[in-house]
Amino acid sequence: MTSSDLDGVSPDELLRADRAGRRFGEVVAVEDVTMSVRRGEVVGLLGANGAGKTTLIRMLLGLIATSTGEVALLGGPPDRERRSRLGYVPQGLGLYGDLTVRENLAFSAQAYGASAPPLPEALRTAADRLVTALPLGLQRQLAFVCALAHDPLVLVLDEPTSGVDVLARAALWDTIHEQAERGVGVLVTTHAMQEAEQCDRLLLMSRARLVAQGSEADIIGATTAVAVRTDDWARAFAVLNEAGQPAMLAGRDVRVVDADAGRVRQILSDAGLRAEVVAVPATIEERMRVLAGA
Amino acid sequence: MRAMIVKEFRELSRDRRTLAMLIGMPLLLLVIFGYAANFRVPTVTAAAVGPGASQLATTLPSSFFDVTRIEPSGTRADAERLLKDNTVDVAIVTGRQPALALVDGSNLFASQAIVSVLNTFGDKVSSQILYNPDLKTSWVMVPAIIGLILTFIGTIVTSIGLVRERETGTLEQLAVMPIRPSTVILGKISPYFLVASLDMVVITGLGMLLFSVPFNGNGFVFALGAALFLFVVLGLGVLISTISQTAGQAIQTAFMFLLPQILLSGMIFPLDAMAAGVRWIGYLLPLTYFTMISQGVMLRGASLTSLWLPFVMLAVMAVVVFSGATLRFRRDLAPGRRHRHAAVTSGADARRDVTHATDAERNRR
Repeated sequence: MTSSDLDGVSPDELLRADRAGRRFGEVVAVEDVTMSVRRGEVVGLLGANGAGKTTLIRMLLGLIATSTGEVALLGGPPDRERRSRLGYVPQGLGLYGDLTVRENLAFSAQAYGASAPPLPEALRTAADRLVTALPLGLQRQLAFVCALAHDPLVLVLDEPTSGVDVLARAALWDTIHEQAERGVGVLVTTHAMQEAEQCDRLLLMSRARLVAQGSEADIIGATTAVAVRTDDWARAFAVLNEAGQPAMLAGRDVRVVDADAGRVRQILSDAGLRAEVVAVPATIEERMRVLAGA
Repeated sequence: MRAMIVKEFRELSRDRRTLAMLIGMPLLLLVIFGYAANFRVPTVTAAAVGPGASQLATTLPSSFFDVTRIEPSGTRADAERLLKDNTVDVAIVTGRQPALALVDGSNLFASQAIVSVLNTFGDKVSSQILYNPDLKTSWVMVPAIIGLILTFIGTIVTSIGLVRERETGTLEQLAVMPIRPSTVILGKISPYFLVASLDMVVITGLGMLLFSVPFNGNGFVFALGAALFLFVVLGLGVLISTISQTAGQAIQTAFMFLLPQILLSGMIFPLDAMAAGVRWIGYLLPLTYFTMISQGVMLRGASLTSLWLPFVMLAVMAVVVFSGATLRFRRDLAPGRRHRHAAVTSGADARRDVTHATDAERNRR
């Protein structure tokens, strides 16, 4: 893709939701979400399972209607013409298992009116193999190649790295960043908080609502956690929880988010536990717990 | 063990399709075999032609012969035309000794009953069976089986093919692609249409080769009838796919569509022999009308004009079923794809969302 391709698109916001909401009967799946994805931006949509990420994506893609508010793709409704500039990798990959790698790519490219690009090296040797016979990492790579075959302006990736090994995950993120550098707006959903650092900006969803957005540092803000290092971590964990301090395990460290270090130290001391107690910046996952609790 | 049994009952009570098969199917079979499984044709339609037509009509036992046409000026050719057009089951030509009863052999059980009754007339009436002189079952069954095979491909195979898109998650990818829903539907069913057409040609050819079934009519009329019928059954296949989440559900539902077609279309049990209470079901089934066309064209050489009723019925069914299936499939492909630019939610919109949620829930079941 060249920069001139993007210049033809007037809106800086490639994807936008404005107070968008969606109800299924009595169930509120998404409520009052306002967000956007701009050119060259990698936006991470984070949240636990059932937080409303997939419903929001389906609204942005035009697969389901909004119950309230509005969504826009490339500055307008996500109609057929605008979707032709969109690349989408669903969680299930959307590949045909009974077709070969080459056939899948040919179909996808033709559906978007493009010609199939050359396969990357890793897939070239498997070009005539059925997709069902490929390892998951290669399947994900193929799904990416299919989504990029028509030079999209927007990429929407639903859990793109789910179930792949560390190396394959790194390669997929490299691809995502390459696209962003070329001006493509990328929206990535994930529930793996450690992938947050790969994104330029994060959107945090909890219980159908967008509870925070910004960079990782913006979202974490002044939230801190108390890290407890002790030999008897299992007992420390139990004691803190009994005392109403919601503790989490991080390796053999016990962490209590949004807690007072002095209070934690006191609880452990009362229980006769020797521990090193330090106040540290919270992680994005810990901040999420705070926001979800709120 | 107890936990397993309780779990099984709980699952079963929530599986509406299996419940329908467990409860509905025995009832259906009972009704069908009680009221429809009857090979004895109680009455037949008859025509009397020739100078003695009026007199003959009064002498025929009305308990069996329902004389619907009396044509004193008619000839043997007129009698044959009445049979060819399926206007009557038997046409008796008078003005000669003995009178000649021309019997429509394409209506197997009726013609067997007619011959049996005519034999009691002694030498007053001679009989001649047309279109299936040896009253071979295979001659009547092969045209009907062509329809059954098309039904099988149209409903079961097509619905499985479409449901597989949903099962593997590719339906969502198709929905995102800039392809029109109508293109997706046509692209999906075209291969099945072609395969079914090829199957039809092969089965017809094999039927003619192996069982010496004649093909007396116009191939174009036959092909037109088959195409219309294929649209109906392919539409049924698409419709089944929209109410099924898995291939297993699709097969179950297609089977429920298929069984009545086999039993009540007149393919096995003659429609005329069925009790009126179940016969009307047969007249709602597309296979009934395709069998009329295929038997009519292959055995009697019937023309498009004389087969207007089954053609019209199939055309109406094709439009209704295919339109319904297409609309439902479009909704599956783009459920409630409405793009709002005003942050206003009307009551109607809210109701539609509830409907979608209810439909999704129903589909899951």
